[in-house]
Amino acid sequence: MDAFHRLPGIGPKSAQRLAYHILRAPEEEARELAAALIEVKESIVLCEFCQNLTDTSPCRICADTGRDRTVICVVEEPLDIVAIDRTGGFNGLFHVLHGVISPSDGIGPEDLKVEELLRRLRDRDTDVDEIIVATNPNLEGEATSMYLARLLRPLGLRVTRLARGLPAGADLEYADDVTLGRAMEFRQEV
Amino acid sequence: MPGRPPRVTKTEAIVLRYRRLGDADRIVSLLTPHRGKIDVVARGVLRARSKLAGHLEPGTRLEVALAAGRSMDIVTQAQGLDSFGALRDDLDRLSAAMYVLELADRLTVEHADAHGLYGHLHNALIRLARGDGHHLVVRTYELAILDATGFRPEFTVCLGCGEPVEASRAWWSAIEGGVYCSDCAGRRPGISPIDGTVLKVLRAYQSQPYEEAGRIRLSDDLAARLEATMHALMHAVVEREIGSARFISATRRARVNAEAVLELAEADPGGGDQ
Repeated sequence: MDAFHRLPGIGPKSAQRLAYHILRAPEEEARELAAALIEVKESIVLCEFCQNLTDTSPCRICADTGRDRTVICVVEEPLDIVAIDRTGGFNGLFHVLHGVISPSDGIGPEDLKVEELLRRLRDRDTDVDEIIVATNPNLEGEATSMYLARLLRPLGLRVTRLARGLPAGADLEYADDVTLGRAMEFRQEV
Repeated sequence: MPGRPPRVTKTEAIVLRYRRLGDADRIVSLLTPHRGKIDVVARGVLRARSKLAGHLEPGTRLEVALAAGRSMDIVTQAQGLDSFGALRDDLDRLSAAMYVLELADRLTVEHADAHGLYGHLHNALIRLARGDGHHLVVRTYELAILDATGFRPEFTVCLGCGEPVEASRAWWSAIEGGVYCSDCAGRRPGISPIDGTVLKVLRAYQSQPYEEAGRIRLSDDLAARLEATMHALMHAVVEREIGSARFISATRRARVNAEAVLELAEADPGGGDQ
């Protein structure tokens, strides 16, 4: 139960339910689960270029010659790649920072995969001319994007940020000033 | 007979920080004028359509309605009063804002009156957002909150003998938070000479109103020396590393160029400034 409780999002009650489920399940099912957990730990590595989780390095995206190699989308976590790829609106490369600058939690740029991005731009992906920073639109995401912009612009790269505005289905009455202000600033012709 | 405490209370607050709670909730640390620092639960704010999330970003001043919970109050409504949006347009201002928020967080305890500190934090955010020099804003804020929390540094009189100290011959102890004359400095541990100009500026910042202090011209070099002295003092007061001070240094390195950052990382794989 303690082992389940250590997992994110699993409270004591859920840990109890999972533990009893495993106890009642056939032994084969428990062995399969244990084997899958070990396999994940042993076979998943970080892609040497984009730092995404992968079972082969370079990962499928970095190895795909059909992708636009002039643009890199920088994201906080591997799951963000899944979300952006699902939209079908981006065909470039990715780079995963594995976190975001959060000084009050003791996380600075040196704790993220920023050096790996710089080395990649210097040594491998020399055709890149645009970096899209797709960090979350909060204080830490803004700090990360501005830090990257300060670092990368002197290299002659165009550094862009995902547009900020109202989410689909939002209610203007409840929108905060920053979101509504940005939505107005970056309005589009209909 | 005293009545039952109200189930829902309203207060003005500034958001200091937050941390994740479960899949979609956050624990938000608020600095309030009358209740001091309080941790509250904001439910569902990690969902894209949350009506609260935008109002609960660090550095936002807001009016918040709180329902009494078992261990922590729960946010039921939040209305932003000032989001200081201009802070998000400039890295120096944003990193300075993160630093002033972190100091407010570190120098307060929960449920203790923080009226003075709240006012200083509010003023600092207003000044940073309207584009005042961030060195001036941050240094005067540091001195004001040290004063408000009982850690006022002594820049004028020797901590040893109580005599006035000449700025050009002063010694400085960040741990003790004050100056020594050369006679008393002796072989005290953790003491070092302090630049006379730095000391004069700090004396002026401590004794003059903000507008007067703003008339002092700072070269980049002098601003950097002031910053180093005050960061060491704040580090000694809060007794732990101040992460946003480290981030401010990182933004300076980034200003130089990416190649310098790479060279530094290769020379010092551990990273950091400590």
